[in-house]
Amino acid sequence: MFNYNVKLALKSMRRNPIMTSLMVAAIAVGIGVSMTTLTVHYMMSGDPIPEKSDVLFAVAMDSWSPLRPFDEDYPERPPHQLTFHDAERLVEMAQAKRQTAMFESSLIIEPDGQDELPFEAGARVASGDFFAMFNVPFIYGGGWDRSADESRASVVVLTRDLNERLFGGEDSVGRRVTMQGRQFQVVGVIDNWEPTPRFYDPINGGFQEINEMFIPYSLTLGLELGSTGSDWGWKSEDITSFEQWLNSEALWVQYFVELDNPRDRDEYLSYLNAYVGEQKKRGRFERPLNNEIYNVMEWMAFHEVVANDAKVLLGLSFMFLLVCLLSTIALLLTKFVGKTVEISLRRALGASRRVIFKQQIVEVALIGFAGGLIGLGLARLGLSGIEAVYDAPPGLVRLDWVMMFSAIGISIVSGMIAGLYPAWRVCQVPPAAQLKTQ
Amino acid sequence: MGFGPMMSSLMRSKTGPLLVALQIAVTLAIVINSLFIVVQRVEKINRETGMDINNVVVVYVRGFGDNLDVVSSITNDINLLKSIPGVVAATVSNHVPLSGSGSGTGLRTIADETIDSVNTARYRWGEEGLEALGIELARGRNFFPEEVNYILPDDNIPAPPSILVTQDLADDLFGEEDALGKTVYWGSMEPSTIVGIIGHMQGSWVSWDKLNNVVIQPGKPAYTTNKYLIRVEDGMRDELMPIIEQQLGESNRLRIVKSVRSLEEIASRSYRRDRGMAIILTIVITLLIALTALVIVGLSSFHVAQRTKQIGTRRALGAKRMDIVRQFMLENWLITTAGALFGVLLTVVVAYWLEVSFELPRLDWRYLPIGVVSLWILSALAVLEPARRAASVPPAVATRSV
Repeated sequence: MFNYNVKLALKSMRRNPIMTSLMVAAIAVGIGVSMTTLTVHYMMSGDPIPEKSDVLFAVAMDSWSPLRPFDEDYPERPPHQLTFHDAERLVEMAQAKRQTAMFESSLIIEPDGQDELPFEAGARVASGDFFAMFNVPFIYGGGWDRSADESRASVVVLTRDLNERLFGGEDSVGRRVTMQGRQFQVVGVIDNWEPTPRFYDPINGGFQEINEMFIPYSLTLGLELGSTGSDWGWKSEDITSFEQWLNSEALWVQYFVELDNPRDRDEYLSYLNAYVGEQKKRGRFERPLNNEIYNVMEWMAFHEVVANDAKVLLGLSFMFLLVCLLSTIALLLTKFVGKTVEISLRRALGASRRVIFKQQIVEVALIGFAGGLIGLGLARLGLSGIEAVYDAPPGLVRLDWVMMFSAIGISIVSGMIAGLYPAWRVCQVPPAAQLKTQ
Repeated sequence: MGFGPMMSSLMRSKTGPLLVALQIAVTLAIVINSLFIVVQRVEKINRETGMDINNVVVVYVRGFGDNLDVVSSITNDINLLKSIPGVVAATVSNHVPLSGSGSGTGLRTIADETIDSVNTARYRWGEEGLEALGIELARGRNFFPEEVNYILPDDNIPAPPSILVTQDLADDLFGEEDALGKTVYWGSMEPSTIVGIIGHMQGSWVSWDKLNNVVIQPGKPAYTTNKYLIRVEDGMRDELMPIIEQQLGESNRLRIVKSVRSLEEIASRSYRRDRGMAIILTIVITLLIALTALVIVGLSSFHVAQRTKQIGTRRALGAKRMDIVRQFMLENWLITTAGALFGVLLTVVVAYWLEVSFELPRLDWRYLPIGVVSLWILSALAVLEPARRAASVPPAVATRSV
């Protein structure tokens, strides 16, 4: 019976090729546009580290000017970066299960070969806990431990790409790299790691490629590493040396902790409050006590990682899909009206309303399926287009299985919804009534 | 004449026309709101920069190693750059306008910490800075060469006696009063005097509403990473960029040339989100209009085919070709207008949603009448061919049995 229905549907679709292709095109375009924007939205709003997003927390403490809040639009919010020495102290005290202070920098690499020119590479300056906290996958070796942090060891973890460039991709653990005139020992090489959004540093861009290497935070002073990310200041201080800069009230370090349960979270907050209380006695932190910790998804929401533009596009494109569905309904209705003769003949020959209804539904499901398939192709095209116009790292936005199945599903379902009313109308045709008039 | 048969056929199948009207309404709402966003973004991208943006080259260099003397390295680089034929002017600068990277500061007209400051982007460059960017000084004077010194990262220099400000910043600070010669105070409460006013120039962050607020301090920043702004003769930019890169690269091995880019490209990168939005919405608008037009053509063609007999009968009873064309045009016009009326309402609702939820600017009301008139024209064009086909139905059809 199903096969018969499909055959009838195909026959009916062929009878009116222009109408049929118009319907398929309407669904295809609607699915193509809405799937494109939905995928972008889905990627932007996704959980970058689902297995740990509720145990990782970004730390914010209000050390801003006593005269005015950090953000005039949200006066209740503390600034969400820390001063260098506060972050350094918190790492040393190690009150959370794991913690890392971090910022973005860049170093000059001097390759061994005489012919090769020195080049600049981005670095994330972080504590050894970084790798275990964020489940960073390694190809070779691993991160460094807390003793390396404490002893200010010149160690480096490379990304796959940088290891490819420096060592031709081989196991480089134990090899040396010269940077800023200093020898660094490679302790690990990480595999491709693209948490999307880049949750650990939305301040300096939520959708960038990760830094090319990682080095210990405790090397900052010795190497005089400046931040290439944002720094915020409120206090006018005499700064004539790098050390004074590190001890200033400028905020430029991001801080993350790992806390396994709500009790640890509360304890950590009271620890932070005690720390600030201590600092207040020294005349710092002059604003009212205001410390916050945000888990990963709260942190993403705080930074409005999903751009307003993406939300606007999502809304508009679903209205677009609505237009496509309205077109399909109108076209189907017109088409079914044209089929009344055939239907009344079939009814007269004994076909029940249910049979007729089923057959119409099969026809629209087929149209929906075809539209969905073409729509998926259009969505892929749309996503490459979006990557091109936004200059995004290749492969950042892609259709995964979830999106592909939902696209086909949405198109079949919406095709059938579009077909319901027309199919019902057509079933109301009385048997043989139409035959008489002709 | 004309309303009778039209109304009777419209009333006979209400759902079809209703759906088309609804589709037209939603189409109108999307197209008007999208078009408004596109126009806004295009206007934003094309704002006057106040700079000779097409002829400026930006070089990023970074020194390394202990043997590097940053000051002599920069001096040599600037001299080298100026010796290249075709280079008009060159300076070292702390930041690059329109790049999205910069530093901000607050200025006050009274040395009192408790009053709010006027926010502005802050630049620091040499006496050739204005020339290197092609910025015009409206009044006052540029920096004297003796006011410009090298500034090392650890130098804690006092505020400069002389500064330049843009007219927009001057207005924000002093309102109606003339700012030239007036004193302003930095966050440290140190004073500086405004010696020159720039008619117009854009600062660092293209999406900041105070983009035109810029203050310029004299000085040659000598940091680890340094930025050179170079203006070249009109039309020579693309030819000179590789030459600049090569000559700088060969002249000094104690620093690397990180990149050589045109200011135009840098600015274009800063606008990529806006450009992306404009491109995507333009595609959406085009697809939507094409789809709706095709659907109108498809449906009217179908109706014509359906009503061949009715048309033939009317023709046989004396209706002229023009009457038939008018019947279909009028029918279509009625549906379109119903859709447009509801569409205007829907457009306003969507515009309100965009304004309230996403802080987009309020829709300009003039888009509404323009949208409705365009819709009438478009839908009339879409139905023209099917209507003409209808008119060519011979009266004899009425007498035939199908």
